Order: sequence, then C-alpha cells, then structure tokens
Amino acid sequence: MNRKLSITFALAIVGLSAASAVQAYDPDWKRGRVYYRMVCTACHETKGGAIAPSTKTKAEWAAYIQADKHAKGKESLKFYVSQKYRDSIKATNKAAAKFADVPEQELLEDIKAFVNKGAKDGDAPAKCS
Amino acid sequence: MSKLQQPYSWAIALVIAAILGPGTAGATSTADHSRFKELQRTFNSGPEVTQACLSCHTEAAKQVMRTKHWTWEFLNPATHQKLGKKHVINNFCISVETNQPFCTTCHIGYGYKDNSFDFTKQENVDCLVCHDTTGNYRKQPGMAGNVVTREMEFPPGSGNIVKPVDLAKVAQKVGKTSRDTCGGCHFNGGGGNGVKHGDMDSSLSAPDEALDVHMDATGNDFGCGTCHATSSHDVPGSRFAPTAKDTKGPLMRGKHEGRNPATCVACHDNAPHKKIARLNSHARKIACQTCHIPTFARGGVPTKMSWDWSTGGKMGPDGKPLIKKDENGHVIYDAKKGDFVLGENVVPEYKWFNGKVNYTLLGDKIKAGGIVPINSFEGSPDDGKSLIWPVKVMRGKQPYDPVNMTLVKPHTAGNDDTAYWKNFGWEKAIASGMESAGAPFSGKVDFIETEMTWPITHMVAPKADALACADCHQAASRLKGVPGIYMPRHSANEWLNTAGWGLAGLALLGVIGHGGLRLYLWRKGKK
Repeated sequence: MNRKLSITFALAIVGLSAASAVQAYDPDWKRGRVYYRMVCTACHETKGGAIAPSTKTKAEWAAYIQADKHAKGKESLKFYVSQKYRDSIKATNKAAAKFADVPEQELLEDIKAFVNKGAKDGDAPAKCS
Repeated sequence: MSKLQQPYSWAIALVIAAILGPGTAGATSTADHSRFKELQRTFNSGPEVTQACLSCHTEAAKQVMRTKHWTWEFLNPATHQKLGKKHVINNFCISVETNQPFCTTCHIGYGYKDNSFDFTKQENVDCLVCHDTTGNYRKQPGMAGNVVTREMEFPPGSGNIVKPVDLAKVAQKVGKTSRDTCGGCHFNGGGGNGVKHGDMDSSLSAPDEALDVHMDATGNDFGCGTCHATSSHDVPGSRFAPTAKDTKGPLMRGKHEGRNPATCVACHDNAPHKKIARLNSHARKIACQTCHIPTFARGGVPTKMSWDWSTGGKMGPDGKPLIKKDENGHVIYDAKKGDFVLGENVVPEYKWFNGKVNYTLLGDKIKAGGIVPINSFEGSPDDGKSLIWPVKVMRGKQPYDPVNMTLVKPHTAGNDDTAYWKNFGWEKAIASGMESAGAPFSGKVDFIETEMTWPITHMVAPKADALACADCHQAASRLKGVPGIYMPRHSANEWLNTAGWGLAGLALLGVIGHGGLRLYLWRKGKK
C-alpha cells in the first residue's frame, strides 16, 4: 500500500515538475534580443546579410524555429543556441560568454519571445536586428 | 520523525519546489504585480491603470507632478529663463505650441492635447510608459499621449492596423525603468530615431562595448537610472542646466547634497588616470567626454545635422507631397519639413562650457543677416568654471517674423486647415501658432539660419578607442579654433618657432666650431 502510494506520489511530482517548468518559465525577451543581435546577427552580417525580425510574421518565425533547419536545411538551428556552440565561440563573443550557462531551452524561448515581438505582425516590429 | 513520515516530507518538499519553480528564481523585484487583485481586471484606458497603481503607490503621482517630465517647465535658476518643452523653441520640429497631440506622445501623461490640459489630475500620470518591461507599451503620435485601446488604422488611410495595448498584461509586468523605456522618448527626440541628440538612439537599447562601455549589454549593462540616479521620481541630469565641471570627487550613492549624480566624476573621481598622471592634468581643462567620445551617432543610426524648413512644400510628379531618400533609405527631403543633412560617426565640435545655457525664446529680438543661436553655451578659458566639451551643433533654417524680428511658433502637425503639414501655407500656420501662444505676428514670414548646441555625453567608447595625443597635438587638431589654449605641436607661433630654431642652429654651429677648433689645436700640438 505504502509502496503504491509512494510511486503515485513520485509520478505526480515528476508530472508537476515538468508542467511547472514549462508553465513557469517566463521568457526574457531582452536576453533573447542580446543573443539574437550579438550572436545570430553578428554572424549573419558577415555571412550573407542581416536578418531583421520584421522580415517574417509570427507564424513564419514559429514554423522556422519548429523546423529546426539552418543553412538551407544542412544544419540544426538549435545547435546555434546550444551550450556546445556557445562554448565554441565564447572566447570571441561576449554574448555567448555571458549566457554560457543558460539552459538551451530557456535561451531558445527567450529568442522566440524576441522574434515574436519583433515580427512583421508582432507588438513591436523590429526593422533593425 | 517516524519512518513513514520521512518519504512524504521529502516528496512534499519537492512538490513545493516544483510549484515555486524557476519562475521565482531569477526575479529581481520584490513584488510580483501579476498577483495583485487590483491589476487582475480589464482596463479600458491608461488613467484606469494609473488609478489602480495609485491605490498602493499613493504618493507616486504627486512626486511625478513635481518634475519636468510632467510640467514641461523649468525655471533656470542661473539665467531666470522659463524653459522646458512647453516654452522653448528649437530648430527641429520648432515648438510644442498647438502641436500638442503629436508632441505629447512623449509627455509622461494622458490627454495633453492643448493648453487646457489639467496638470492636477493624478490619474493622468502615465506610470506604464516608464515602468513597462514587456516592450509592448506604445503610444501613437497624434493621440495626445493616450494609448491605443481598440484596433485602429494608423496613420489614417494607410491600411496599417494597430492593435490595442493589453493594459492588464503590461500593468502586471511593471518593473524598473530601462534603456528601452527611457529611450522610447529620448532616443526619438526631434521626430525620429536618433534625430535630435546624436549620442542617443535605439542602438543604445542593447549596445555592445564598442558603442558604450557603461551600457554594454554583455558587460556593465547600465540602465539610464544607474547614472541618472533618481529620487522621488525626479531624474537628475538636465540639459537645460547641465553640470559642466564637477570638482567634488566621487558622490556616494544615496547622498545627494544638491549634486548631480550623472557626471563622470561622481563615479570616477577628478583624477581617474592611475597610470598616466599627465592625463589628469588634462582633465582640469578638458571634459572626460572630449577624449572618451571620439565620435557620436556611431551605432548605425544617423542623426540630423541640419534641417532647412525653407525648402518645404514641394510636390512630386503625382501631385502628392514629395519625399526623397538617400541610398540607405533614410529620408533627406520631406515636403512637410524641408531638407535634411544626416550624419553618422560624426566628429563633435568643441566649446568652452561652464554649464550656463541661454536660450532665444519667443519674443526675444533677433538680428537679421546673422545666425541666430537657439541656445548659447557660456564658457571661457579664464572663468575657472569651464571645461572644453564635445558638442553637436544642429544647424537649421527656420521661419521667423521679419517685421517683429522674432522667432515664431508655427502650427505644423494636424489635419486641420491651418496646419502646415496639411495646407503647406506658412502664414496660416504661424498665425495659428502665435495666436495660441499669445504672441504678436505681423503676417510676414521669412527664413533665418539658426544653430542649436547639444552636449555629447553618451556613447562612451572603451579606453582603447579614446582620443590619442596626436588627435589634438598636431596642426589639424580636433581642438583647432578653441580659444585660450596652448597645445604643443599645434599652437605654434611662426616667429617664435623661427627664433627658437635659429637659436638652436646657432648653438649647434657654436658647438661644432668649438669642437673643430679644439681638434685642430690638438692635432697641431701633436706635431
């Protein structure tokens, strides 16, 4: 009886924790902006032009991020938000260094919040990246 | 504790941790406003939100109402001039008079549409414009500082639909002021991003170190309030009465002593150069900004350097008001405003400045044929109060009354018959503006050149990018033309140089002659 109760309790805790983590994380759009500008844009400006958030609608941004494709599908988009990638460039990129320990999913949510806000149909379309 | 209780206490602790979750971990505020019942409702206007704010922050509106941000008035104690946005004339959009619905987009209140605005109503104070953290709180020009509360087409006829601001969401997320909130107005002074100041534009919302060592978003990450340390909603550091020279050393945060905390010295002391003491002696005559802000408008956003209203009113081939853009897409001619010259990475001009600024106000007589100073920075090398400051000098050509010999306040913005942007007629526009201001107008209009000076104090570069000796100590010195200073390698006097080199040459000849004679006599003696 006690064992069953414990397992049920443990499962409830796992479920609650997962739900809480998803619901409770409040994306930091400003942190997303800094990473987007100083990592994403900084690289794009040297390799193929700037990428203003207002070049896509919110739906297009959501689809782009969901597809997880970069460089015409050759790479994973999420890799460029990963701690591994940040570690690889942090010696020369201050934003990557500053956010080196931020969990990947949180940073991705931050960036999503920024592009969502700055999208063509967002609350504050951002022409400059 | 019994054996049965132990696993449950462990589990309960985990449940609590999970519920509290990461949402509370990173918060810096001591209050989560989303939990306040007063803010868990629908708001139909800005003043409704303010009333909710004031139900707890009972003194906040009273404090705001004592500040220049609210009154748009400032009595300069040094010159006794009545200044503030409500009164001054500039050479950008010229004047607030009759143009309030547009200009007051940046008033810290709701509904300042004309001179009948009630400055005593506390619910008219706009708390959200400074305390928004969502970045979604926007005001549209022409609405007298009111927020959009229903879907509307803006500008009218454009097909562009502006969505209402979710006031409850913004109110529940209020926090400290930030570069974004201050910048919402101060980055956009003069009618657009970067237009007015030159050292403030949207590039400072998330700058890198090269643009500003203090605000560097990946470094020090200063907000505006870090330097402009605010007390009781009163933000120190006014351009109407700037602190040109601070000789009192560091200012302990929290102590005010009537000093301006937003000076370099307030943190860095009067002798900040520890390794090269000679630079500290420079700091006795030169403002820190002179060396440490080598250029302004260097964040990729151009600033306006001149504005010629006299060329306004041209129509395009389609009969509509003409607009011209440069190769980068920046407007350089607008029929509503005339011609502009833009600048990026601009080298400042330099002036002696002691903090005293005199304005040419409405009614002040001006002289024809010259350049009218919209404001004049006082200062001299000998008054003991001045330093050499970097400045942006905005040059313009704007309408004036050639009979009364005064500057004028035209009614420019609006959709009515007298607004210049609607009818392109100066006489009607100026008559309307001057009548509202209670000032005489002869009915005649001409244009006169003007200059307006702005101190440069933001966009502080890393020390490696500060000016080097040779920037000033050379013939083409940056400080060329600044009176009352002697700079080696620059301030050369031709006669003095000739005499000096002549004396040096003679001394050399003497040494060579003497040495030669000694050598000759030595050799002769040997024989």
